[in-house]
Amino acid sequence: MANMDSDSRHLLIPEGDHEVNPGPMNIQFDSSDIRSKRPFYIEPTNIVNVNDVIQRVSDHASAMNKRIHYYSRLTAPADRALIAPDHVVPAPEECYVYSPLGSAYKLQCYTEGYGKNTSLVTIFMIWNTMLGTSILSIPWGIKQAGFTTGMCVIMLMGLLTLYCCYRVVKSRSMISSVDTTTWEYPDVCRYYFGSFGQWSSLLFSLVSLIGAMIVYWVLMSNFLFNTGKFIFNFIHHINDTDTIPSTNDSDPVICPSARSSGHPDNSSMIFYASDSELQQFEKWWNKSKTVPFYLIGLLLPLLNFKSPSFFSKFNILGTVSVLYLIFLVTWKAIRLGFHLEFHWFTPTEFFVPEIRFQFPQLTGVLTLAFFIHNCIITLLKNNKNQENNVRDLSIAYMLVTLTYLYIGVLVFASFPSPPLSKDCIEQNFLDNFPSSDILSFIARIFLLFQMMTVYPLLGYLARVQLLGHVFGDVYPRYSGAACGLAFVFIYPSLIYIISLYQEERLTWPKLILHVFIIILGLANLIVQFFM
Amino acid sequence: MEESDSEKKMEKENLGPRMDPPIGEPEGSLGWVLPNTAMKKKVLLMGKSGSGKTSMRSIIFANYIARDTRRLGATIDVEHSHVRFLGNLVLNLWDCGGQDTFMENYFTSQRDNIFRNVEVLIYVFDVESRELEKDMHYYQSCLEAILQNSPDAKIFCLLHKMDLVQEDQRDLIFKEREEDLRRLSRPLECSCFRTSIWDETLYKAWSSIVYQLIPNVQQLEMNLRNFAEIIEADEVLLFERATFLVISHYQCKEQRDAHRFEKISNIIKQFKLSCSKLAASFQSMEVRNSNFAAFIDIFTSNTYVMVVMSDPSIRFSLEEEFKFLSQLLGVLLSQTAKMPPETLGKKRHSAAVDPWE
Repeated sequence: MANMDSDSRHLLIPEGDHEVNPGPMNIQFDSSDIRSKRPFYIEPTNIVNVNDVIQRVSDHASAMNKRIHYYSRLTAPADRALIAPDHVVPAPEECYVYSPLGSAYKLQCYTEGYGKNTSLVTIFMIWNTMLGTSILSIPWGIKQAGFTTGMCVIMLMGLLTLYCCYRVVKSRSMISSVDTTTWEYPDVCRYYFGSFGQWSSLLFSLVSLIGAMIVYWVLMSNFLFNTGKFIFNFIHHINDTDTIPSTNDSDPVICPSARSSGHPDNSSMIFYASDSELQQFEKWWNKSKTVPFYLIGLLLPLLNFKSPSFFSKFNILGTVSVLYLIFLVTWKAIRLGFHLEFHWFTPTEFFVPEIRFQFPQLTGVLTLAFFIHNCIITLLKNNKNQENNVRDLSIAYMLVTLTYLYIGVLVFASFPSPPLSKDCIEQNFLDNFPSSDILSFIARIFLLFQMMTVYPLLGYLARVQLLGHVFGDVYPRYSGAACGLAFVFIYPSLIYIISLYQEERLTWPKLILHVFIIILGLANLIVQFFM
Repeated sequence: MEESDSEKKMEKENLGPRMDPPIGEPEGSLGWVLPNTAMKKKVLLMGKSGSGKTSMRSIIFANYIARDTRRLGATIDVEHSHVRFLGNLVLNLWDCGGQDTFMENYFTSQRDNIFRNVEVLIYVFDVESRELEKDMHYYQSCLEAILQNSPDAKIFCLLHKMDLVQEDQRDLIFKEREEDLRRLSRPLECSCFRTSIWDETLYKAWSSIVYQLIPNVQQLEMNLRNFAEIIEADEVLLFERATFLVISHYQCKEQRDAHRFEKISNIIKQFKLSCSKLAASFQSMEVRNSNFAAFIDIFTSNTYVMVVMSDPSIRFSLEEEFKFLSQLLGVLLSQTAKMPPETLGKKRHSAAVDPWE
């Protein structure tokens, strides 16, 4: 009898291609009961790639395969008597789709950490994920901080958040004792801070989630209101920008907050005593009183979709919206021209000083604008060349900074200052365009649709408008700063300090630098409440 | 009286595994009336409860596993046992050293009957067992019984579930146990194997056992070689019919796959399981592609032969071409007192019960 003990333990022997046609590649596996699907149960991933060299299954493996097939016929399907135990079945990494002709194909697994995304795709994904609704507030933030200060703050915040993001990405590599390949940042926090770390990071994520949902709701109400008003005015041929200060040319810009009375009235100023139809419309289509509730009717059916992943197909709307906004801003800037005057410390009637002490409001906005720390690990996992992670991250941050700078500077600079004051720039710069403006109407529609597809993904809050009344101006400063505090500043720095201390590599300069970052984060949060 | 007899008979037909007195006892203590089966020789498969005997039997003989965990002792109803082996050998499966005191008593009282007419004793040890002393004790008592009742029996010891031992320690542990068992078995000779159902060792062990049970096996191999050379076959294999264990083989050139015997065995047994669902039975098989042609057919009443040829253009019927050599082989096989004369070819619906049922 031949001595079978000496055969190779390797599963595959690479060989030349003897097979003619590999056959269909589309194999579906469902995930119920792993063990009963042996032999060689394959993880349910799509077959993404096929090696050029077709491997040949070794005799040992095919014998095992046959054995398991045969044993499974000896028992009833419900009987677990002869199921192959774990230690005789090859590990998941060694699993191949086995053809009875003897060839085998290796499946690519997403969770292995070596994804298929090129650097370009990764950079684009980071850029796409980071650019959100904060983009609408950047001009306002620059206005609050002053032009020069604003630009400097944007660049500095970009660098600071990039560094902290780098710390998040590198945090897993400092843990040598445990296998961290499937970890996200909350897991790292739990490792260092125990369950307090896990729960607090979860809490902060929740805070940012709730904040984002509030923001989305407010913005969507806004956009829906303006869209409805545009359509109504278009149908009834009403031009209603008379009582609001605005510019008098073909591209009107309005200043909605410049009113004699204190609280800005969120409905149209037109009051025609004789026009009851308009009155009715205004009664039923009110920005703060009625439209937000109509939004419920619009969103509720969307929230009942069984698989929210249906909406992730509309991700492309986000990119389109941003690109359209860039186009819109460029167009308006060309039409309106630049109106810049530099006054360093004193405000004038139309301009704001270059350096203002309300710049923390800009940092508050930017903390959320540059926030991606809770999912950066997952995004970078699919990068094909992992050694380029830091480089790709830096490039992505640079692009995001440039985008923000571009939009912020252009809107700020082209805001028609002689008739209107720069102070008029709204927290949502689209509000500065009248509802009759077609281009901004299109922008609002885009953003409206994009947010409607994102909202179900976020989950929802029922009575957010109530909270909106409680909070007043609920713009992203608070939630952004709050979660930014934890994720962006404190946790990455603290974890880095702790891990260095454990490895006894902590030096004074590093300690001082990171404590300083933590203090900055704290100050950022506290000062929001004083502004 | 006749009615109750036929009733009893019907009961015997319909019930599954249950207790029956062993062969050779015309009227057992339970009052059954049995035909005289003194001619049949036994293969005893013994071992502690839970050592893997039922799984082993199921795998080797392609029986569905009956999930009867409260086995009372004899899991094979020997009277209606369909597991025949090498012609007239009947497989008996016994739990040795079970906890059930009733069964222990029965076992002790029926000892002589159990161990009479034994051809082969296969004793299964669980390598993971924590009660080595107890296992050895039961093994020794079985040997004593064998010595008394069937001193010519062949003894085989299987060290089972070896896959649970780490690979680098397997040889060491096996050598240790083998020495102990050899020492304990004196004056009887025992052969030891280490087995696991998850690799080829089980098949190899049982093939070795079968090989040792065939008389004149060297002569058989020589004849196979002559036969193969005459027809210019790549390989000729002789399988035992019930288990497709390789009795003998001849190959004219090096074959790449060392596991091919077990694979063929598993494939055919699986095919037979499918056939039995349709109440069909396996007779022969022909496989050919552009590179080779293979034929599997019934050879004698207890064996199958498989011929592999590189020249795919050959077509033949086994019976006609090999008449001369088949006759010779049949005579050789029947030259032992332990096996009935082999009947050739298609005449298999004879006294031998189809082992695949």
